[in-house]
Amino acid sequence: MLLETRDLGKSYGTVRALIGVSVSILAGEVHALIGENGAGKSTFINLLAGVVHPSSGSISIGGEVLEPGSVRASEAAGIAVIHQESTAFQHLDALDNLFVGREPRRWGCVLDRPRMRAEGRRLLAGLGETLQEGRPLAELSVAQRQMVAIARALSVRCRLLVLDEPTASLSARECGALFAAIRRLTAAGVAVLYVSHRLEEILALADRVTVLRDGSHVETRAAAGLSKDDLIRSMVGREVQEHGHGAPSAPGAVRLAVRSLSRSPCFHEISFELRAGEIIGLAGLVGAGRSEVAAAVFGADRPDAGSVLVDGRALPPGDVRAAIAAGVALVPEDRQHLGLVLPMTVGENLVLAVLASLARGGVRRMSAEAAVAAEQMKAMAIKADSPAVPVRTLSGGNQQKVAIGKWLAAHPRVLILDEPTRGIDVGARAEIYRLIRSLAAGGLATLVISSDLQEVLGLSHRILVMREGRISGELSRQDATQERILALAMPQEAAVAGVSP
Amino acid sequence: MKLGAYRYWHETVLAALIAALMIGAAVVDPRFVSWKTQIALSSHVWELALLAVPMTAIIITAGIDLSVGSAMALSAVVLGLAYQAGANAWLAAACGIVAGALCGTFNGLAVAWLRVHPLIVTLATLAAFRGVAEGISLGRPISGFPASFTVLGLGTIAGVPIAGVIVALIATAAGLALARTPSGLSLYAIGHNPAASRFSGLPVARLTVALYALSGTCAGLAAAIYVARRNTAKADLGTGLELDVITAVVLGGTSIFGGSGRIIGTVLGVLAIHETREFVGWHWEHEELNAIVVGVLLIAAVLLNRLFTRPTR
Amino acid sequence: MTGAWLRSREAGVAGLILLTVAAVGTINPRFLSVENARDILIAASPGLIVACGATLVIVLGEIDISMGALMGVCAAVLGKLVSAEHAGLPVWLATLIVLSLAAGIGLINGLLVTVARVPSIIATLGMLTILTGVGDLLMAGETIGGFPDSLRAFAIGHVGMLPMPVLVALACLAAFTVLTRETALGRRIYAVGSNAHAARLAGLPALRLKVLAFTLTGLLTGVATLISAPQLEVIEAGFGRQFELFVVTAVVVGGASMSGGAGSIAGSALGVLLLSLVRTALIFLQLGIGATYWERAIQGGFILAAVLADHVSRRRRVQR
Repeated sequence: MLLETRDLGKSYGTVRALIGVSVSILAGEVHALIGENGAGKSTFINLLAGVVHPSSGSISIGGEVLEPGSVRASEAAGIAVIHQESTAFQHLDALDNLFVGREPRRWGCVLDRPRMRAEGRRLLAGLGETLQEGRPLAELSVAQRQMVAIARALSVRCRLLVLDEPTASLSARECGALFAAIRRLTAAGVAVLYVSHRLEEILALADRVTVLRDGSHVETRAAAGLSKDDLIRSMVGREVQEHGHGAPSAPGAVRLAVRSLSRSPCFHEISFELRAGEIIGLAGLVGAGRSEVAAAVFGADRPDAGSVLVDGRALPPGDVRAAIAAGVALVPEDRQHLGLVLPMTVGENLVLAVLASLARGGVRRMSAEAAVAAEQMKAMAIKADSPAVPVRTLSGGNQQKVAIGKWLAAHPRVLILDEPTRGIDVGARAEIYRLIRSLAAGGLATLVISSDLQEVLGLSHRILVMREGRISGELSRQDATQERILALAMPQEAAVAGVSP
Repeated sequence: MKLGAYRYWHETVLAALIAALMIGAAVVDPRFVSWKTQIALSSHVWELALLAVPMTAIIITAGIDLSVGSAMALSAVVLGLAYQAGANAWLAAACGIVAGALCGTFNGLAVAWLRVHPLIVTLATLAAFRGVAEGISLGRPISGFPASFTVLGLGTIAGVPIAGVIVALIATAAGLALARTPSGLSLYAIGHNPAASRFSGLPVARLTVALYALSGTCAGLAAAIYVARRNTAKADLGTGLELDVITAVVLGGTSIFGGSGRIIGTVLGVLAIHETREFVGWHWEHEELNAIVVGVLLIAAVLLNRLFTRPTR
Repeated sequence: MTGAWLRSREAGVAGLILLTVAAVGTINPRFLSVENARDILIAASPGLIVACGATLVIVLGEIDISMGALMGVCAAVLGKLVSAEHAGLPVWLATLIVLSLAAGIGLINGLLVTVARVPSIIATLGMLTILTGVGDLLMAGETIGGFPDSLRAFAIGHVGMLPMPVLVALACLAAFTVLTRETALGRRIYAVGSNAHAARLAGLPALRLKVLAFTLTGLLTGVATLISAPQLEVIEAGFGRQFELFVVTAVVVGGASMSGGAGSIAGSALGVLLLSLVRTALIFLQLGIGATYWERAIQGGFILAAVLADHVSRRRRVQR
């Protein structure tokens, strides 16, 4: 046994991201780690990498206990993590990227280029790649960059290589090269922890599979003999709680119509209609293009083709202010960078979207602003000492309420919520669900983007599923199950064999 | 009240420093603090104050305008040439102000539309505007403005210089605009987080262009005041003024990273620089010490500011 | 490899230089004389030397705008130290003092930026203001002259065909090219400027590298003063003023990015040459007396066009 975690847990405030996970990884095996979005995979990886400090439990590697929460200790112990967007130096070439920080040198300071070149060639050849010298990394393909990152990990003594969604943007040929490289590594005794949503890949590649769900360890099994359905069932697991939430009482007029909206390479030919009082859930994997669709509808990105109509009138493309004027509101997924101005106060954030309309004769009416802020703080049950405290000081749940309240103050006709409960504790989550339902009951047309299947099932009247930039299916509330959504969301065999992006 | 909740720390410290300086000056040389001396010395400060007001707003949005001194020179030269061409002096001043506004608009468009870093844009226009000023004037000074015009720089209303009244009005208007208009609050939001501001529907590009245009307009106005006072317009006027302006704004507590700053702080910053500089020049009769004092003040102010506020990035 | 180089920024600037030389040479063949080439190179030498340091600072994502004022102070101190009517120190000692002073000021800049965490634009702006005052104070409105012949020989002498200042500039360019391309230190500077977060993960000493870059820039400013100030009969107040704008602009024209990570010594050197060339070219175009007054406008417009064009093209490349 190479690595063992014992009761490994991590909490962020009241949110438990990982609960008592005990897993062992063997030298020379490909160990797959799967789970829905938010199941705790990233937290697990970050704990191994030493990026975050565990709340409980321990990790031992090669029989020795690893110093918790230390990147250096993890590195020294031979754990290397390759993230989806690898942390590399875009301006430097492959060779510099491989060796920066521990360059082979002559006379103490001059780079030993011949040695770097030879060693770089050897490392990359081991992965089936050739060395591209002299070109900045930014000019290489994603696959080549990934190979460089893996090679860098291997150039130090690496015993466990963690690959986080390595094939997300690789073509079929590139995937093949990566798998060959992985097999070569495991043959040499390196353990690979392989995190992916692509179940076919996992079934083809992995020796054993660990499934996480809601932060807990469900099971670890040998991959041989498992089917894709087995994996999905294991990932979904729990019984679906019925929320007793049927079709909208009186489906209203079409508020938002999206017609053949495309923006290469993010999404293609997206069409749907959203009615007053209706909640549509937009499900799919991270990277399926859901947030990008929302940004295009809101005018933050300019689509290549297609149109967005609100109440039958087409919006000018790429114009946020026009979209807002027509009544569209977006609560973005990245609330810290796009949804809120963190250093500003709760009150200021709540009136930011309605500043001009609250003013009279070009002068802010402080009393009107205070009234709006107070109204939203009350309506959203925002827990803050006063409207004058910076939003930064609030908890995640309360920050999200401010991000939503800011738009409710503008009385929108179409509300788009992107991952409205990510990183929010259970209590605040329930409040936000209640709010979304009551707003819809009041006639608001709502689009909820979420990776949390229960959330989608519990809130939506209809569910659209996106896969790789296209709508792969629509499910009515009655027909939808977690398994069906996942089946529509997971990449197909054809995609794994795949077309280049 | 908790100590940390008090929002005017920077201004208070600065005001105390100025007060201490004035008391010290009064002890050393009572003539310096007399009303008459102060009014006489004040003529050196109006252009600085006038340019510091829009610069405050620009730095609040995390931008910068290095070209104000050059825009001022160009405006002054346009004013002079228009007058030479036979225009009424006031009409000529209007031409100069329009030229300043155009300079600023150019900067604003490059920053907001082409999204070039404002430091780079205005570094380039710093050279370009002054070059155009030198070119169209062929480096010659233009003078001989009528007394009806020079009153703008030399006249007083009830003992207060007219230029001072103009600066006071503009500073007050800007202070109120920052604190009491939607655009004012928007500038702070843009400085903290331009992306979130755009996602909130704030007119980020339009405000940015307007802001740099305003900076250019103020440079034009400052040029008119300067020309009226000196009765001469030359392409080398205002050289290096941009550094004094930025120093005054940062000394006044505006964060170079954007998102915070107030006109009242800038006014105090201008005052601190002006009084220190004039007193040092007056007492030691070494103009050169001014710059040293200002530079030390700038770095000390930023260091002090670090102690009172935690950086929020 | 060659294809990539042809598309690079360096090739673009080099092309512009050739174009300018060809165009001006056609109009006025005297522009192509060896004497003129030598004059241009001598005039460009201080810029070439200081651009080496400025490139490192900008690659690290910082900026230094105190070089011009530092040059003024160094010139005044040098004059006071060596001239017979003042201290009259031996040349080697004066040189040593000036270089230590320059490096010391650079070190203070670096410490202000890293340890005191003052934004570099503010720290060096403050330093610029202080040094301008110190320079004026030292000059006291007069001129300093009377450099000993040994020092003047250093600034106006030749080694074979090459004027001394050009030789020093070439030596600096060679040293810094090797430093940035062939040493661990150099590659780490680019790494820190390229991705500060990844650099931290790779254990690179970002703060120490920044202090070093600022110190080197100070030191090189001292060197630039030593080869340029003694060329003059007397030093006047205002020596070196606005030199920093020239250097920073040249480095940016040469391909360095204000956000760090990009830029090269070769590119910066070509940027300095291009700007120096434009300056001289205007004289040779013989546009009449009036044209000399348009010199700065043309230079400014040129810089503006270069910066805007580069920015737009770079953005397009990123979007693709």
